Amino acid sequence: MEHLVRQPRPVYRRYQAIKSALMKVLCVLFTACILSVLVLVTLYLLINGVRYLSWNIFTELPIPQGMEGAPGGLKNALIGTGILVALASAVGIPLGVLAGIHLSEYSAGSWLGTSTRFVADVLTGVPSIVVGILGYELFVVPMGNFNGYAGACALAFIMVPIVARTTEEMLRLVPNSYREASIALGATKARTILHVVLPAATGSVITGIMLAIARIAGETAPLLFTALGTRLLTLDPSQPFPSLTVQVFNYSTGPYKDQQNLAWAGMLILIALVFVLNLALRFTVHHMQRNRSVAAG
Amino acid sequence: MPELSGASPGSFGVSAKSRIRSLVRRHGVVSSDAILVGFSRLGALSIIAMLVVLLGVLTFAAWPSIETFGWKFLFTSQWRPNELSVPVHDAAGKVVIENGEVVTETMPPVFGALPVIYGTAVSSLLALLFAIPLSFGTALFLVRVSPRWLASPVSFLVEFLAAIPSIAYGMWGLFVLAPFLQHYGEPAIRTCTSWIPGVETWLFTETATRAGQTVTRTLPLTGRDMFCGGLILGIMILPIITAISRDVLKSVPRAQIEGTLALGATWWQSAREMLSYSRAALFGAVMLGLARAAGETMAITMVIGNKIQIHPSPFAPAQTMASLLANEFAEASSELHRAALTEVALILLVMSLLFNIIARRLVVGSDSRTAAAH
Repeated sequence: MEHLVRQPRPVYRRYQAIKSALMKVLCVLFTACILSVLVLVTLYLLINGVRYLSWNIFTELPIPQGMEGAPGGLKNALIGTGILVALASAVGIPLGVLAGIHLSEYSAGSWLGTSTRFVADVLTGVPSIVVGILGYELFVVPMGNFNGYAGACALAFIMVPIVARTTEEMLRLVPNSYREASIALGATKARTILHVVLPAATGSVITGIMLAIARIAGETAPLLFTALGTRLLTLDPSQPFPSLTVQVFNYSTGPYKDQQNLAWAGMLILIALVFVLNLALRFTVHHMQRNRSVAAG
Repeated sequence: MPELSGASPGSFGVSAKSRIRSLVRRHGVVSSDAILVGFSRLGALSIIAMLVVLLGVLTFAAWPSIETFGWKFLFTSQWRPNELSVPVHDAAGKVVIENGEVVTETMPPVFGALPVIYGTAVSSLLALLFAIPLSFGTALFLVRVSPRWLASPVSFLVEFLAAIPSIAYGMWGLFVLAPFLQHYGEPAIRTCTSWIPGVETWLFTETATRAGQTVTRTLPLTGRDMFCGGLILGIMILPIITAISRDVLKSVPRAQIEGTLALGATWWQSAREMLSYSRAALFGAVMLGLARAAGETMAITMVIGNKIQIHPSPFAPAQTMASLLANEFAEASSELHRAALTEVALILLVMSLLFNIIARRLVVGSDSRTAAAH
């Protein structure tokens, strides 16, 4: 029997063992490399942002170079981004949530469900600059000037597929027994969805929505040819509209040191928002998944 | 994703369905159900409509350019938005002079997208070159090496990289990475490679035509070039490739791994087996990263140098499709210019749709939440 099992030569085996150990070390190194890039990027943003952060940023308008008090603050940009995101959400959230409900609750095996899911996934991969051009053609050309509505619509376009897919995933995490119990009690399907399934998933659906909001709040490219941006404080979305990201872009690519510093601080505000929302999403999903496994077990 | 739609938790049994229906009929409350079905279907249809509108509007807006340039648009490399007066040459190649003045003719604007297509392709490939080994290595670490308590925070941190807005990477690239490359990175590469013949000319010189003469000179290193762009893109696509390949590797059947180990495979041999077992899905992950890199706009606009040219050296400034749009669209000089830019956007869109469709076909079976979140 022994002659059938040919033992590999020891040298070869040792070579393989060393190679394996090396590759393992390499994997650890690569991970360390990615993490150090993350640390490098965030630390730099953090340090610079904190250094230039001040109350003036929230309370003052930008002041042109050369005038007293320059560069001022980012009040208009912060308000502008707030309004743009609110407008985009007003369109994007209802559409997205409804589509999500359809995908999760009504679409089992249907043609519409499968293709909507596919299209939504593909849409999340569409370059945001292309969406900006769509906004330009649909809203800026007919209205004759760059305006906030166009920017908000471009942002809503980015938001809808994300909200739809996260809502779907969150509703799927609601245990099926909830639905069965509700129907056993004689509720209609609409009632089951609105009064049982959605409330059970509210927390996580909202976190998913917040994540989409964080994503669009950080978008710059779709606003370049739609809202365009302005140094003034404006509340009228039919005019060129300021936004934090575009202002940060203009300042950081501009020649003035003061404005670049302001850009760092603006960036920090954005990153902080994104970080908090991500952390929140992670905790809710974790919580939901644990609940689900408890309910299933 | 067929396996999702097949076993949806929302699908009620047939008997339950008919029971609800009978309940609805008995109480005469058709409305609430019908309304929700109607509205939610509207939401779903609007998503499909969005894609149709996007393709339709862009094609319509790009039509003047498509009509004027045809396929030539993809294969010519002249991008000149403004009219140009050039001296007329006679048959002998001499400048024609009439009444003591040089006769000029006006050349219409020309648009050819080859340089930006080249820029997008090369910067995305550079990004993949940086990102693939790092991502696959990290994915293997998370699945096969890391203890459980470590895997979760590392995953979170890597995914957080994906959530940082593109403009933040742009700022970091512009103020940190580019100056570093300019002063240390690129001179170091130059010193290290100077002993290889030909490399110096390839990487660090450019030829320019000035006053009819061709001169070769040293490439001015600014740090804002194709290489820097590729690096930034690489960092930006790390998280998506890592997250998806981690999920893909996780879904390799346990028996497959145990089988290799039982046959006496070392850790690396069995890891390689895992990689080759899920190679289709890993390829899909790479495609998604590629699509992301090709469409990335703000960061690349800030670091690539914004010069429309095809230069063989990665240390020369370049332009990608997305950065061209960011730079020129808002100030387009004519209708044709705008149409040409829209055609570039259309090419970018079609490309990213193709990449995404192929990728998602390949990644089917991995965790769909990650795919959706990215």
